[in-house]
Parts: sequence; structure tokens; C-alpha cells
Amino acid sequence: MLRKLTPYLFILPLMAFLVVFTYLPIAQSVNLSFREWDFMSPDKPWVGLDNYHLLLSSRDFWNAVKVTAIFALISVPLRLALALAIASYLVRETIVSRLMRGALFLPSVTSTVSIAVVFSWVFSTDYGMINGLLTALGFGKVQWMQDPQLALYVIIFVNTWKQLGYDIIIYIAGLQAVPAELYDAASVDGGRRLHVFRRVTLPLVMPTTYFLLVVSVIDAFQVFTIVNVMTKGGPAGATDMIVNMLYRVGFTLFDIGQGSALAVMLFLLLIALAVLKARVIGRKVHYEA
Amino acid sequence: MVANFPKLAGLGLMALLGSTSMTLADTTVEFWHSFNNAAGEALDEIIAGFEAENPGITIDAQHIGNYNDIVAKLQAAIPAGREPDAVIMEVTRYGLFADRGVLMDLSDHLENDPLKDDLFDFAREVGVFDGKTYIVPFNSSTPVLYYNKAIFDQAGVPEEPELTTYADILAAAQQVQAELGDEGISGIAAPGQFARWGLIMDNDSDMIDSVTGDILLDAPNTVEAYEWMASLVHEYGVASPDGVTTESQGRDAFLAGKTAMMINSTGNYGRSKTALGDDLVVAPMPCNKVCSVPIGGAGIGILSTAEEEVQDAAWKFISYAASAESNAIWFSTTGYMPINRHTAEQPLAAEALETKPGIRVAIDQLPVAKGRPRPPVVTWMRATEYDMWQAMALGQRDVTETLDDFAARTRAEAERLAK
Repeated sequence: MLRKLTPYLFILPLMAFLVVFTYLPIAQSVNLSFREWDFMSPDKPWVGLDNYHLLLSSRDFWNAVKVTAIFALISVPLRLALALAIASYLVRETIVSRLMRGALFLPSVTSTVSIAVVFSWVFSTDYGMINGLLTALGFGKVQWMQDPQLALYVIIFVNTWKQLGYDIIIYIAGLQAVPAELYDAASVDGGRRLHVFRRVTLPLVMPTTYFLLVVSVIDAFQVFTIVNVMTKGGPAGATDMIVNMLYRVGFTLFDIGQGSALAVMLFLLLIALAVLKARVIGRKVHYEA
Repeated sequence: MVANFPKLAGLGLMALLGSTSMTLADTTVEFWHSFNNAAGEALDEIIAGFEAENPGITIDAQHIGNYNDIVAKLQAAIPAGREPDAVIMEVTRYGLFADRGVLMDLSDHLENDPLKDDLFDFAREVGVFDGKTYIVPFNSSTPVLYYNKAIFDQAGVPEEPELTTYADILAAAQQVQAELGDEGISGIAAPGQFARWGLIMDNDSDMIDSVTGDILLDAPNTVEAYEWMASLVHEYGVASPDGVTTESQGRDAFLAGKTAMMINSTGNYGRSKTALGDDLVVAPMPCNKVCSVPIGGAGIGILSTAEEEVQDAAWKFISYAASAESNAIWFSTTGYMPINRHTAEQPLAAEALETKPGIRVAIDQLPVAKGRPRPPVVTWMRATEYDMWQAMALGQRDVTETLDDFAARTRAEAERLAK
């Protein structure tokens, strides 16, 4: 009996931690999504689907969904494509490659708040480095964070800059797992570089690509810190993403019920996307050469 | 040894009981505040003075961050039952907490305290919500107009210019922009929310009527004020758009000598003086249609969940902090306004007025200072106003259309909160 229980006893502490700090809060959040609560009142009256109805009929909500979707549709492919391209050059074991890997990985382990504050000044209209350079070259100033057409791309740029290093390192690991003989064989067969990349490299790093796709989509839908520090969802809602709206509704406007409903909807959306990815892309992932 | 054991045990027990009883007699008041640096040191001095006069009371003062940080931490602490005993609350946002029963009614305490007669009228009024007192002001401020004399001189603006109307301010800003714009110096910092409120009041209007509670966001004078403020950015180009999306950048640019004028709280006097030295001049708020300035800052409230003994101790601290002596320490260090009628008589305060003439401007505005409305909807309104302001200031939406929309949404939210 003890022998049967032993594996469970080993995982019990971690499971307890997960239950207390992950699953119970999720359950509580779902519960609160059906209630009205401002964190101050002792009562949390049941309101059924009212919070969901309010959100679904709110233009701010649909704006947040639209902005988040655009962000994800642009930033995810951009990150993956750039990471794979750079990783292809840095996969070689040279001193320069190793130094570059370290340098590119640095933003991933740097405080997001610090990065966002610095880039706020870099992209500042009147005092920023970029506009200073543009002015010196004879161009006019660009309102990077005040133009609704541009602000989201600034956020995409900063987020990509921060996360790219992590993606590169993962891709390098994936590329290093591709058997060298396959490249040798392709070379013997006279395969050109692009051809080899398409026919050999790309299919064999599919597991890595799939993993990074899942991770980067989740990351894209949960971007908060950069937005909160740089634009707070502005200008005019141009960078107001779902998590930013969740924070505003739940913690600035004290509507915990609606905030929880938004969190539940985000959770369900991410699950749906994960299932979609598994069905559409998962089938094309080959785990062996 | 064994024969003496009962005596020893008895002595030990008495010593233990004695120390325990001394510990039990000590009351600790957990106090969350938003003051650091020089202000934090001034607060520490006030607390030390209080504890010296009240040996049985310890003030456990914790710097949490700014007003928003305090609210964010309260959001976690209150449901967890770990809220503090006393807390600093911003003067327009405490109404929601009072309405929900988080803050204790201090009316009886104030009524029975001689402090009642020593506080300025504005200080008494600003802590009242729904006819009851919930906070006693600690750091009170009004907005003032700061300008950089060196920039004005460089731009050829006359010494001690007339800056009493919107037109005066715009003229000065345009002159600076025309002369020094190419050097990266702008005329005025885009007004922050507190400044915007002050400029609306100077135009004989308000965001919410402080007497009737009517929403005035779409009132003609409010619209006119917003049109002028927005024009500084997108029409005349004398205010940087950076200060619209990130208000602190406008202030930082002024402190860095990159902007000629800034409308901001007297609470910024200390750091402005440090940054600009003798080039800093403090002028009163303009009186475009009327002279009227909002009271800002925060006050100390006591949480209703604190034990009675702790509540009494917290009140003693609040009363001490609002005394003339303590207020003089606070006023002379920070530039926040005196809340006690006798503060100016204190040597420290008199010396501050002599050596820091800029802070007298705020005091001279007191006769026209008034508290802002604080019904529960103000929290929602202030949070939403930032987006509305950005849309108007950056020229993305028409001012009248935006304020009509904002007013309608605010009325709907006020109705929802009233249920």
C-alpha cells in the first residue's frame, strides 16, 4: 500500500502548492465573475451572467479584443521568424556566436518595468533619441506614442525586443538537435541554402516552433507591464489590451466581478486557441527526423 | 536551591507578568502613508514627537507608495483582514471608502477635540462626506503656476509677466516657443489632471457640482476650458504631447529646464526649488473668469475594523499631526499648505515663509480654495478622464462631442453606483 502511495506522496507538496496558489484562485475567480463585489463590501451578491453581458455589450471590451488580436497577429509571427533567422546564424559554436547569444538574451532577464521606462523616453516625441536622430537627419518629429496608428507598433517593437532572446535560445537548442548528416546529405545532393532550410531545417524544428507558438500566443494575450508603463492603454484606447482593461476594471474601478469575468473569458479564449493550434498545427509537427 | 525555588518561581512570574502587562499597555497603530525622502523624514519627526508625548502608543508608519499604490494594497488587505489601522487617503477618492463603511466616522472625535476650532474652514470641509467627517487633512495643496525665470528672460518675456488669464498664459508660452522652440524648449507643460481641474474652476465651472452633485463635464464653461487646454497641444504646439500620455514627463521636462511653465501642486515646490533654484518663480493660478482653486492632497482616516483602543490612539495621532507645531514642521519641509490657523505663528513656519517665498502664493490662494466633490463616482470619473483628455488634447476627437459622451457615461455610472 505504501509503495503504491509513495509516488503520490512525492508529488503531494507540489500539488498542494498548485491547488492553493493556482486552482483555488481560478475557482474563486470564476465564482466572483458571477457576483458583484468591490472588495470593500462584506456582501458579494449573485448577479448571474450580468458581468458577462455588460462586457459583451461594452465597446471598450471589443476594442481590447481587437487590439490584442492585432498585437498577437503581428508580434507572434514576427518574433518566430526573426528568432529562427537569427538562431540559424548563431547556432554555430564560435566565440562571437556565444557572445551574441548572451547579449540577445539579456533583455529577457531584465526587468520589464525598467525596459518600458527607458523606451518611454527613447520614443518620447520631444525628448526622445529616435526623434532626435530623425531631426538631425532633416526629418520631422514623429508622435510615436501619441499617434493611435503608431502606438501599438511601438508596444510590439518593445515586446519583441524583450522576448526575442528567449526565442532565439530555444530555437538554437532545436537547431542543434537536427542531425548533421541530413545537412551533409543535402549538400552532397547539391541543395541550395534556402532549399535546405525549407526542406530540412524548417520541418525538423517544427516541435520547437510549435512550442514557441503556444508560448508566444499566451504571452501576447497577457501583455500588461509594457502597456501599463508606456501608454496605459492610450492614446484613445489604441493600446488597450485585454489584461490592461482587466486591471483597470478590477483594480482601478473596483469592479472585481467584471474583472473576474474578463479573466475567465481570457482563460477560455486561450484554451480555445490552444485547441485550435493543436488541431491545425499539431498534426504537422514531427518529433523525429 | 530547592527550598528557594518557590520564591524564585514567584519572582520570575511577577517579572513576566510585569513585562507582559507593560507590553499589553502599548498600543500600536499601523499607519500606511505615501511619503518618502524629505516628506518621509518630516513625518518621522512628527511621529517621534507624538510618541515622546504618548509613551504608550507606537505608530508603525509604513511607506506604501503613492495614493494609487495604497489603494491597490488595500484591495488585497481588506478581504484578507490585514488592513492597517490608519491610512492616508486622497481627498477626492476617500468618499467611495466612506460610502462602503471602510472608514470610521470621525465626527464625534473632531467635535470633542479643540482641534476643531484650530483647523481652517477648508481643512474641516474637505474631510466631510455625506455630512460626516471621515478624514482629517494632512497634506493639503492647491495648484500653482510655476515658471522658469531664466527661460522667460531668454525668450524676452517681461519680468513678472501678467499671467492671470488663459490668453496671458498662451501669449507667454507662444513667445517662448517661437524664440526657443528650436532649442527643444517648450512654452508650457501639458496640464495634469489636478491642473486641469484647477483651470476648469478658474473658468467658473467644475467637473461635478460640489453642492448638488450634478455632473458638469458638458457645461459650456467646462467645454471652453478643455478646448483651451487641448489647443495648447494640438493647435498651438506650445505643450509637448509627451505630457499628455505620461503626465510625469511634463513635470520632468520642467524640472530639467526644458519647459517654461508648469501648473502643478504646491507639493512639488520642494523638488522644483531644488531643480531650478533661484530661477523658479511661483505665481498664483490664473483667474480666467473667477479666482477659484481646488484643494488637493490627502488626509488621514481610521479604518472601521480597527479595535476601539487602537482607534482612540489613532485619533490622538491625527490630532497631534494637525496641531500647529506638527503642521509647521510639515509645512516648512514640504511646501504643502498649513491646515491649522496657528501654524504661521510657529517660528519654523515663519522662517519658511521668509526663506521660501514661493509657498506664500498657495497660502494667499486659500480664500478662494475649495474642496472638490467626492461622491463614489469620482473614482470612475477620474480614471476615465485620462482617456478623454488624451483624445481631446491629441486632436483625435472633438472636445464638445467627447465631453458630451463623457458626461453621459459619468451620469450612468453615478446612477449605477447609487443603487
